[in-house]
Amino acid sequence: MHMTQPETITTVMRALADPTRRAVFERIANADEITVAELTRTSNVTQGAISQHVKTLKQAGLVSERPEGRNVYYRAQPAGLEPLADWMSHYGVFWRERFADLRDLLKEIDP
Amino acid sequence: MTDPADTSSIVLDEVFPHRREIVWKALTSGALIGRWLMEPKGFEAVVGNRFTFQTKPAGEWDGTIRCEVLEVVEGQRLSYAWRGGHESNQGYGSKLETIVTFTLAETEAGTRLRLVHSGFVLPKNDAAYRNMSEGWKKVVERLDTVVAEEASQTLH
Repeated sequence: MHMTQPETITTVMRALADPTRRAVFERIANADEITVAELTRTSNVTQGAISQHVKTLKQAGLVSERPEGRNVYYRAQPAGLEPLADWMSHYGVFWRERFADLRDLLKEIDP
Repeated sequence: MTDPADTSSIVLDEVFPHRREIVWKALTSGALIGRWLMEPKGFEAVVGNRFTFQTKPAGEWDGTIRCEVLEVVEGQRLSYAWRGGHESNQGYGSKLETIVTFTLAETEAGTRLRLVHSGFVLPKNDAAYRNMSEGWKKVVERLDTVVAEEASQTLH
């Protein structure tokens, strides 16, 4: 079970905050497996840029790679979204807001 | 694959620049809890104490969260059961049999407060992010809005 650690959420957030990278991630998620060359063919971004985006997604745990011969196949890593999915649940948001309120209250009673 | 008893936790871990006694007070004084969490009815930091929070009703649930204090370690640990919702609800207001635990630790910068809200049963449909089904694509679509909002707040 992946725990919902703030660092993990931030990494995932940061990886997906960029619209182009998010589009790359969605295309990987919608394909079973896909190479950078295939991703580049149907996009208007350079292969170098796509490579960088895929690398960032990989570092965030959102994508895994499988080298085969001269190709590297990328596949979405479902578990990578888990921290975010947890966070997105009602209570994830709820507690984040409450902690912010607690921070304000403490500042008020203990300046 | 899906174990019916599979549960998930929400974990928050933050450092507050205040002494542990102050943070503990904010967690255990009914009046103060009401100022950051919700107004508790009948709260006492005593094991076995039962209290409630009143939230927005949903469907057949009247919005009452029924809590019971499970553990009190002065200045260090507070845990209570957090029960509510109704089986007929999905998402907000769905049945909850959960436990909220606060753990406090002193750090150089103040007090590290860790919250674990455990016992969420992963609904089968929402667990779709574990496989490559339609459900997961929906999660990805939702990211567009959620991530954009969050990014504007935290990524500066």
